[in-house]
Amino acid sequence: MTHTADDFPTIQQGQSAALAEAAAIGKSVWRRFRRHPGAIAGSIIFVILLLLVVLAPLSPYDPEVSNMAVRYQPPSWQHPMGTDALGRDLLTRVLYGGRISVLVGLLVVGISISIGVPIGALAGYYGGRLDAILMRITDTFLTLPTLLVLILLSAILREVEFPLFERNSVLTIGLVIGILSWMIFARLVRASFLTLREMDFVAATRALGGSDLRIILRHILPNSIGPIIVEATLEMGYAIIEESGLSFLGFGIQPPTPSWGNLLSNAQENFTKYPWQAIFPGLMIFLAIISVNYIGDGLRDAFDPYKVIEKAGEY
Amino acid sequence: MFSLLKKVVPILVTGLLIFSLFACSPATTAEEGIVVVIPEDPPSFNPAIMDAGYDSLVMELVMLGLADIDASGNPFPELAAELPTAENGGVVIDEENGTMDVTWNLRTDVKWSDGTPVTSDDVLFTYNAIIDPAYGTWIPGIDYIENVEQVDADTVIVHYNAIFPGYITQFGGELIVIWPAHYCDATQGFSAWDCARTPLSNGPYLLEEWVNGDHMTFVRNPDFYEKGKPEIAKITVQIVPDEAVRKTMLINGDADLDMWTTEPVINDLKDNPNVVVSLSPNNRWVFRLFFNLAAKGTTDPVATPHPILSNVDVRRAIRMAINVDTISKEFFFGYAKPAWTEFFREPYVCTNIARPAFDPEGAKAMLEAAGWKDTDGDGIRECQGCGTAEDGYKMEMEFITYGEYGEALELSQQLIAEMLGNIGIKMNISVVEGSVMWAASEDGGIEQNGNFDIDIYDDGYAGIDPTDFIYGYYHSASATPDYGTNYGRWMNAEFDTLLDESYTLDTAARQENFCKMAEILEAELPEALLFTAVNADAHSVRLQNVQSSTNDLVTWNAKDWTLAK
Amino acid sequence: MLNYIVRCLFQTVVLLFILSILLFALVNLAPGGPLAGQGRSRQIRPEKVQILKRQFGLDKPLPTQYLIWLVGNDWMMVDVDGDGANESYGTRLGILRGDFGFSYRTRQPVLEEIGQRLPNTALLMTVTLLVGIIVAIPIGIISAIRQYSTFDITVTTLSFAGQAIPEFFLGLLLILIFYAWLKNPITGEPLLPSGGMTSLGVSGLALGDRLVHLILPVVTGALGWIAWYSRFLRSSMLEVVNKDYLRTARAKGLPNWMVLYKHALRNALIPLITMLAIDLPTIFGGAVFVETLFSWPGMGRLYFTAAVDRDYPVLLAILIMGAAAIILSSLLADILYSFLDPRVRYD
Repeated sequence: MTHTADDFPTIQQGQSAALAEAAAIGKSVWRRFRRHPGAIAGSIIFVILLLLVVLAPLSPYDPEVSNMAVRYQPPSWQHPMGTDALGRDLLTRVLYGGRISVLVGLLVVGISISIGVPIGALAGYYGGRLDAILMRITDTFLTLPTLLVLILLSAILREVEFPLFERNSVLTIGLVIGILSWMIFARLVRASFLTLREMDFVAATRALGGSDLRIILRHILPNSIGPIIVEATLEMGYAIIEESGLSFLGFGIQPPTPSWGNLLSNAQENFTKYPWQAIFPGLMIFLAIISVNYIGDGLRDAFDPYKVIEKAGEY
Repeated sequence: MFSLLKKVVPILVTGLLIFSLFACSPATTAEEGIVVVIPEDPPSFNPAIMDAGYDSLVMELVMLGLADIDASGNPFPELAAELPTAENGGVVIDEENGTMDVTWNLRTDVKWSDGTPVTSDDVLFTYNAIIDPAYGTWIPGIDYIENVEQVDADTVIVHYNAIFPGYITQFGGELIVIWPAHYCDATQGFSAWDCARTPLSNGPYLLEEWVNGDHMTFVRNPDFYEKGKPEIAKITVQIVPDEAVRKTMLINGDADLDMWTTEPVINDLKDNPNVVVSLSPNNRWVFRLFFNLAAKGTTDPVATPHPILSNVDVRRAIRMAINVDTISKEFFFGYAKPAWTEFFREPYVCTNIARPAFDPEGAKAMLEAAGWKDTDGDGIRECQGCGTAEDGYKMEMEFITYGEYGEALELSQQLIAEMLGNIGIKMNISVVEGSVMWAASEDGGIEQNGNFDIDIYDDGYAGIDPTDFIYGYYHSASATPDYGTNYGRWMNAEFDTLLDESYTLDTAARQENFCKMAEILEAELPEALLFTAVNADAHSVRLQNVQSSTNDLVTWNAKDWTLAK
Repeated sequence: MLNYIVRCLFQTVVLLFILSILLFALVNLAPGGPLAGQGRSRQIRPEKVQILKRQFGLDKPLPTQYLIWLVGNDWMMVDVDGDGANESYGTRLGILRGDFGFSYRTRQPVLEEIGQRLPNTALLMTVTLLVGIIVAIPIGIISAIRQYSTFDITVTTLSFAGQAIPEFFLGLLLILIFYAWLKNPITGEPLLPSGGMTSLGVSGLALGDRLVHLILPVVTGALGWIAWYSRFLRSSMLEVVNKDYLRTARAKGLPNWMVLYKHALRNALIPLITMLAIDLPTIFGGAVFVETLFSWPGMGRLYFTAAVDRDYPVLLAILIMGAAAIILSSLLADILYSFLDPRVRYD
């Protein structure tokens, strides 16, 4: 939707028109989202998961207190998911582990966006030398073998003495995964900015005296929100898998704090004898990821109807 | 073209299938030899470099030292004709100067597998290689050796500049062997020479083949100096990383010996008629709590004493609150034995220390009396007139262990943390990597930097002489960072004197000193010893004379193994 | 075109150089070091520490260590025997001349260690990728052609599922089902082995045995690929399938299958091939999870062990090779893309 300066004699009118437009877009996005069956199912599952992990403290069991009399119990009424090696209720631990995973996911998304979006915006808006430098930095990060560097970084940062990091493995893991996953946001935002900065309304705002910062923040960025939101959702799933993987290898969240990954890792020892210890955390990871992926897919279709129409073969 | 293909392809596929069937034949049959399974490749045949355990295992099959130690702690000669002692004149002590000379008379009937006889040249060569400043390494006692004198082809005299009680295994034991002077390349150096990968053998077996990551094959040495031994013609060492698979192999008879069998597997195998689990008569590895007597992050207990652990009553209370029997039963299947003094192994057993009681109520009372009370009802005690910290200081500490041991240690740590929580001490658990825990202080090593409150891990001395080990952990000279492993920075002058006096060959005097030292340790509790882990090797019923030993790897007596008919 | 390649190669070299510095710093900054508690000894005597530091070259300041790692030290005098005086030339050639140093754990040349593991990882990952592609392509094509059919919807759902299962969890499940639960009806043994490359005692080609040992690790690794590539191919085909030039071809009278095969598929495969080129580095980098779970003696496990032991030379070698593989493969992808798609030209 391109407008020229003639359409809006005052800046205020321009702004309110932009807001109205954003609201209209938002509504149509929501409408399209609702029509995507997978996205709805995914949302429901995800909301249920979120509710469960938020309500974790309601459990009568303490996730970190042992009960040596009931070690390795199979699922039963008192312990719907059974108990682990120290007699702790697995359901409680899985739910608390879910909190960690969700927290790490949010942290990773937050950090990736905070790093990636500004870099992409600056690169895309200013172009030229700045773009070249920023893209070199992005490329450098992209060529790091991710898992290998993750292992290294978490080994380093685990022992570092920063007051915030000490014994706060959630923060450490979130940071570590986050600083290796911002590149895609940078690329997305840059691509979006490259297109949008040529548009008329930008020229108009500049002519009206708008500063660069204002243009970036209030005009271009809101229009690039679509891909950012989609990617953020998918990033959440990716972060959960990475955290689980790291914890599984022993580098992520440390016991006795439960996390889905280290629950899986602990279950390995006696896996064939007590398989439920691994099946339940793995199932939770699976449900979380698949719901998040469906939501992301639905959002992607909702934000870009042309792709949907193309997919349907009418275009 | 296509029709030709249609004819050729089925023939090729059939041929491939038949070929693969033939290619799947197993290598060893029961009569030929035995199979030993280990989880990973040995780094080399030289345990002095890495001491991974697997290196000692294979080294014992092919090479000999001057003397070695059996499972009960008695030394026996290998390359030496007899053990040098003060009685037979082999050891001459100069009391005045505090030096000693040990004369080793070598056997004359031992040859390397290429026919060259083993002589004193090899002993001197080994010594020079070890002390080479460029490529050598450090082994216990090497600093006490003034020089090694070659008297003739079969005699060497080791001149010590101090009294070193561990002289018997100076060039023997599980870490050191005599290397061939004519075969090993001195320019490559002791730490990296190729003869540690392709060894020349003078022991019961020869290395025939080493397929990295897969297996090693050893065959009987026809020229072994003990006639008629070894009885078993072939030993195949298979690399099997997965423990469950090793266990299955033992049960099915596909493997004859599993090294370092863990407690859960012992428990699974104990009733199996095909498998025997050999337990070593002594245990080496003692799990212990290390108390940092200096404040966390510092290394000077006088300038910055630890606010909680400086008081010996607190340390005693902590030990009282731990139920070692539960830990042993639940996580070690009953195979962990309680230990409470460093001197519990032959030949120096001190019986003057009573086993500490498990008494959580007594522990609570002790803490109350020491000035640690829970005034705000949150379950964690605070200092109320404790003397070592300000009033209101919370009794909360970090509890560290290392991850590589396995689940049993991690679970024990969690349970201990809970037990201490029950008496009002909050423990925050950390699991770190071994390479970080024991690194030098400049590499961020946790122990050397004093970055801990309480640690738990296992350690114990090799062989029969505890003096070096005790020196490293308890002597004041070891309390300086990077100069020893007295991480808790405990210093006691009386203990130092007794320890220094123990560097003598008079076993009666040593025994007396050790038991006095045990009393001091019990009074001051710089470490709280908890329990020992068993050393076990599971083997098939048909393999006989296997004896697990805590002084060496299970192959120490491989030459004596036989197969039941 | 050649101009472009040359420029890219130049940038690759610069990038690798920067990366090498970054990775070197990262590896050395990790707390703990290779000097700590080697093997079973908890106590590391200060005498031994000094010797080891000298032998590992860790007694020099970090920039010097980097330089030596890069170009070796045989052109300068070093103090080999610790007496404080530099008396002989060093022996290292540096990675630019192919000398990656020796492993701290085994004292063997790093290249030799990697050389022993690389074929195993290459085998595993190549088979995994191949299986992934071979299964994914037909699925993707059929999904695209029969869009919104039951097949398509099932496959799409399964793809989502496939991408949502973590590799390590899937591996555990497969081991549980095929090793612990299901038994071979003939022999009574577990149906499939739980690890290793071959059965014990088997050496040589042993094709049948190797194939059996490959099944579970490959399925674990390939499922994610299949899910991803089939969806990718599907959307790629969809973009192409309804384009005007296909309508023209159909109008001209070409049968549909020919239209699909000769035009649609060819064009849809282009992005797939370039994606594949970008995914090639996994053949090298190894699948850490699959190798750990199935006791596969490959690069991933080597890296993992080296990370725990702080075996710096091995770590650095694998990292830099991994990075180089990634850079070169994306260059390869660019070149392939320009070859296959005549519309794309670089200058």
